[in-house]
Amino acid sequence: MIRLENVTKQYGHDVVAVRDASFDVNKGEFVFLVGPSGSGKSTLLRLLNRQDRPEGGAVYVAGRNIVDMPSGRVPQLRRNIGNVFQDYKLLLNKTVFENIAFAQEVIGKPKHVIRQQVPAVLDLVGLAGKEERFPHQLSGGEQQRVSVARAFVNRPLILLADEPTGNLDPATGEGIMRLLDRINQIGTTVVMATHDQRIVNSMRKRVIQLDRGVIVRDQARGVYE
Amino acid sequence: MLSRFSYVLRETWASFRRNMTLTVAAIVTSAVALLIFGLTSFVQRGFDNLVERWEGGVEVIVNVKPQDPADPNSQARDDARAIIEETLAANPLIESFDYCDVDCSLGDADVLLAADPTTRNLLTADNIPTSYKVVPVDGAGSEQLQSLTEALAPLPNIGDILYAQDYIDVVSKVKGFVGIYTLILSILLLFAAILLIWNTIRTAMFARRREIEVMKLVGATDWFIRVPFMLEGLIQGLVGAVGACGALWLINNRWTAGVETFPENSGLAAMVIDSNFQFSRMIIILLIGGAAGAIGSGIAASRFLDI
Repeated sequence: MIRLENVTKQYGHDVVAVRDASFDVNKGEFVFLVGPSGSGKSTLLRLLNRQDRPEGGAVYVAGRNIVDMPSGRVPQLRRNIGNVFQDYKLLLNKTVFENIAFAQEVIGKPKHVIRQQVPAVLDLVGLAGKEERFPHQLSGGEQQRVSVARAFVNRPLILLADEPTGNLDPATGEGIMRLLDRINQIGTTVVMATHDQRIVNSMRKRVIQLDRGVIVRDQARGVYE
Repeated sequence: MLSRFSYVLRETWASFRRNMTLTVAAIVTSAVALLIFGLTSFVQRGFDNLVERWEGGVEVIVNVKPQDPADPNSQARDDARAIIEETLAANPLIESFDYCDVDCSLGDADVLLAADPTTRNLLTADNIPTSYKVVPVDGAGSEQLQSLTEALAPLPNIGDILYAQDYIDVVSKVKGFVGIYTLILSILLLFAAILLIWNTIRTAMFARRREIEVMKLVGATDWFIRVPFMLEGLIQGLVGAVGACGALWLINNRWTAGVETFPENSGLAAMVIDSNFQFSRMIIILLIGGAAGAIGSGIAASRFLDI
């Protein structure tokens, strides 16, 4: 599903965010990217959805090298990738329903499909009945659930999560992890960047550890070291 | 398709409401710029009407009396014309001359008496004088030209002999002065309007940067994101142009009504803009307004998409 071959990403002349990174992620896998702040986790995620381009190497998503992909094809790529962020990135002037529907509306899904799929995904994330609330009327955990719902509503092949529990208390964070695990069980490949040791240790999924842009460990059913 | 269309309209309207102050500023600026452009064009046209008879270096107009209805002797009239033309051709001060027949004279009357339809209606093919428009040789002084009167006045059927006096030069200079400066002013204001529209769209995009980021991440195409912003700019330019057209129509109507009350010899009767010219300029103003809006917003929407 995902393959990185000798990927190097540099910011400016002297900041190397990722150096010579190579790994494969199979369809349906759940992978943690771990490491301290500034180790290159978020950069790797940005490379996977073509928000950034590497200076060297190749990034394959669903069998296609996306490094040289023409800009016009990037939207199509992103329709197969869901994104979850630490700060949720919800639109504050839209309701829960509208936030999720927005992800379908902007890619031209018909209204009747939106009316059918949004309630289903709200049910999946445990927010049924809160469709008409605005983000400021929700807790942090609920806002993150809306963010997950928005990322998942178009049924992406891959879900990228950048510190999704970073702003949440441990109990709420566990709820979000259960939700991501459930989405993974449905068949979606999940790549999650985190430095939450407790979550990584409890999930026992594959762990790729980065240190100053270099992959130093790639372990199946790993723990945070 | 319908849902996309309604999305574009909804987002455009929402953006208008959010940016009301800047939007109004952009519309007013483009309206003023286009109004000045339109007025420049009208004033130029008015001056053109004033001096139309004297275009092409004509400095003397020799009027020929209309045919006497009681004496329908066309041979005598043709003989008189032949004598006049022979005299003009033989004069060393004259480079060329053209005969303005009845149709030509009626056309001139349409322009000169645009503000005085009552007088215009009194003129018919039977009573309108025809004329010779005379171009003198280079260097012929006005005093020398006055001598034409002595040569032509005794000939049969000769009416008034009119000379291009200094006011023609004055009118031409005023026309050039007014034309150049108002044109420069309207171009500058139009440029300001484009910049304001550009800035309005940039501000709108900055205010919605979070939405744009989300849109891009879920796979919206750049064009899908751009279109509501471009439509917003286009509408700003067009609304400004419609405002300018309305103001232009009002000003022209009031001017025309005012000219009709001026004394007949005011010399301003020709400075009336006919409705065909007015309509054609309004079309141009609408096109320029739309283009200014599209250019300003198109540049902003392309440049600030990566926010």
